Amino acid sequence: MSEANTSETAAVSIRHLSKSFDDVEVLRDVELEVKTGEVVTIIGSSGSGKSTLLRCINWLEKPDRGSIHIAGQRIGVHDDGRAMPVRELAKVRAKTGMVFQGFNLWPHLNVLHNVTEAPIHVQGKSKREAEALAKALLDKVGMSHKHDSYPNTLSGGQKQRVAIARALAMQPTVMLFDEPTSALDPELVGEVLAVIKDLSAEGYTMVMVTHEMAFARAVSDQVVFLEKGLIIERADPETFFTTPKTDRVRKFLENHDTPSPA
Amino acid sequence: MNASAWQMLLEGAWTTVWISAVSIAIGVLAGLVIALIRLARIPIVDQLLVLYISVARATPLVTLALFIFLSAPDLGLDFNRSVAGILALTLNTTAFNAEIWRSAFRNFSREQREAAMATGMTPWITFRRIMLPQMVITSLPGLINEMSFLIKGSPAIAVIGIVDLTRVTNRISAVTYEPLPPILVAGALYMMVIGCLIWLQRIFERRANRLAM
Repeated sequence: MSEANTSETAAVSIRHLSKSFDDVEVLRDVELEVKTGEVVTIIGSSGSGKSTLLRCINWLEKPDRGSIHIAGQRIGVHDDGRAMPVRELAKVRAKTGMVFQGFNLWPHLNVLHNVTEAPIHVQGKSKREAEALAKALLDKVGMSHKHDSYPNTLSGGQKQRVAIARALAMQPTVMLFDEPTSALDPELVGEVLAVIKDLSAEGYTMVMVTHEMAFARAVSDQVVFLEKGLIIERADPETFFTTPKTDRVRKFLENHDTPSPA
Repeated sequence: MNASAWQMLLEGAWTTVWISAVSIAIGVLAGLVIALIRLARIPIVDQLLVLYISVARATPLVTLALFIFLSAPDLGLDFNRSVAGILALTLNTTAFNAEIWRSAFRNFSREQREAAMATGMTPWITFRRIMLPQMVITSLPGLINEMSFLIKGSPAIAVIGIVDLTRVTNRISAVTYEPLPPILVAGALYMMVIGCLIWLQRIFERRANRLAM
């Protein structure tokens, strides 16, 4: 019963999560709790398992052991170990919105329809209702002038902002960002970060993998450092960036131009 | 050529067009279904489909048409010529189409599929709304190529007595002793039909440019 209680209050609750690719353990007994309204940043060098951890949350990767609850509901498997049927899995997945490094827009649909596609065909919203919502979201990300454009005509920053609107359109419990600015030209990073920052100010619950240290420091409530699949440090951003406990994190931050307070 | 020769030519053209059209329609859909089943990699079923595809791709249309028409009575089936002809063309084109669809599946972007699943789409909705519309556009050059091969190969069904656009030219010249005019007209008619296909292909290619990200 105690598990049900903690899961109820948490947007995401990850317990004893482990995963291996072949013989390599990419996640080792990871525990993470994301409260509603909280922004959690996952930091670590490449290959540390941070993207895998994020992708486990919406079951794009299947963990080997452990459990993940989204707003109190378990994803992927039932408590008795049975795999979740695809329809049920899709329903839980819809509680999460994901923004990918490579945007992954659907090129055969224009901007507006990229955003309305899931609300109409997953949630069964009417076209009118979905379009009203999509227009409001595209306005929020500063893309209202591009409704009729196709993805191949947009810049990377514009694509990513549409992808954020697409994920928001399902009104998810938690937004997952997988290195959302890593594929962008440096001059386009700012416009995407600004949108994410707005979302955090509005109280969206977010889990983010990023290499933007100054940004992580500015928006996070909790910073988690992953090393070889193990969470070796977790703290509020001030503590994490100013007085890290481990040598490993200290070294990592030295190599990443520790940001001055935002 | 007199009026009745023209009429015979047009009737032959109609026979070629409708038998090809039916075979193409069934063949494109059946090819897609086979490609879908093969994705599931069901043991035995998969091997049987691979066997079918290899045999159908390696068998000349004439042989296939004759085999179907001649073996049907022994199998207790009562085909008329048109049905046997359609069956031969369909069995042949389906095998090629299945391979075209399968490569479209294999090459479909994993990232786009993940994005669809991440929004809560089931595999079926993902297939119908995200994959299929793009696969149709990317497969179309190959599919239309295969359609024009089918139409150009369709005279093979004359071997079981169907009077198609090529066969009819023989019949006309048997009366007029002038083989060239009907053959020239038949050639022009084939080109018109294939021309329509190429025109269709162009329209879709314009839409395909959008998919190049």
